[in-house]
Amino acid sequence: MTIEITTYLVYLAISIALTIWVARTLHKNGRVFLVDVFHGNETLADSVNHLLVVGFYLINFGYVSLALKLGYDIADAKEGIEALSVKVGMVLLVLGGMHFFNLFVFSRMRRRKTIHDGRPPIAPDSFTAVKQEV
Amino acid sequence: MRTLTVLYDSECGLCRRAHEWLAQQPKLIELVFVPCASAEARKLFPELNHEWTKADLTVIDNLGAVYFGPKGWLMVLWALTRYREWSYRLATPELLPTTKRVVSAISQNRYQISRAVS
Repeated sequence: MTIEITTYLVYLAISIALTIWVARTLHKNGRVFLVDVFHGNETLADSVNHLLVVGFYLINFGYVSLALKLGYDIADAKEGIEALSVKVGMVLLVLGGMHFFNLFVFSRMRRRKTIHDGRPPIAPDSFTAVKQEV
Repeated sequence: MRTLTVLYDSECGLCRRAHEWLAQQPKLIELVFVPCASAEARKLFPELNHEWTKADLTVIDNLGAVYFGPKGWLMVLWALTRYREWSYRLATPELLPTTKRVVSAISQNRYQISRAVS
């Protein structure tokens, strides 16, 4: 097996493992947010959560696959490791970006919900009788 | 809560300016403006102390909860689509004392401020 092939295989193994790990973390911890956003409707929350994770996998595997090609020859193991570190570094940055984007979407959804059925920010000073409108 | 009635001082330029600005803002809750201590205000809220409402902005919801002064200002912010978040932020225990101080200072000097800006 040439050094190129080994580098590609190691790259794929690391990228796929990382993507699965991040996706699982999102799936597990994002659920609580979604249940809150959807007023405790767990079925809907689980469904949306699952759909989000599918999108996450698609984008990340798409990137990993597109970024696979090295485009130059590798002479020895040193160059192989260097090439690998650049590739894995890019995957990590993309994963990080996606992760924060997901967090942003979750918090945005949650904030919109609290805005719309929010309670008054403060308690009243007193109460008075209101003349009923006819 | 469906509506907030805002009892404002119609004799103060700053308050009229604020009223015009508020009328244009997108709202989550309907705001009804009634000049304070007017016949209309007395009719709507027969048991309220109307002398008291002349001193500072008073906001009353459709269930009769009365928010006076800085609390009234916060409730008006809360009714606005774009500023609801700010109402929560300004009402946090850390910021509430400052909010109250600033709002009271503006209210107490509203005639001077009106003169200065007009």
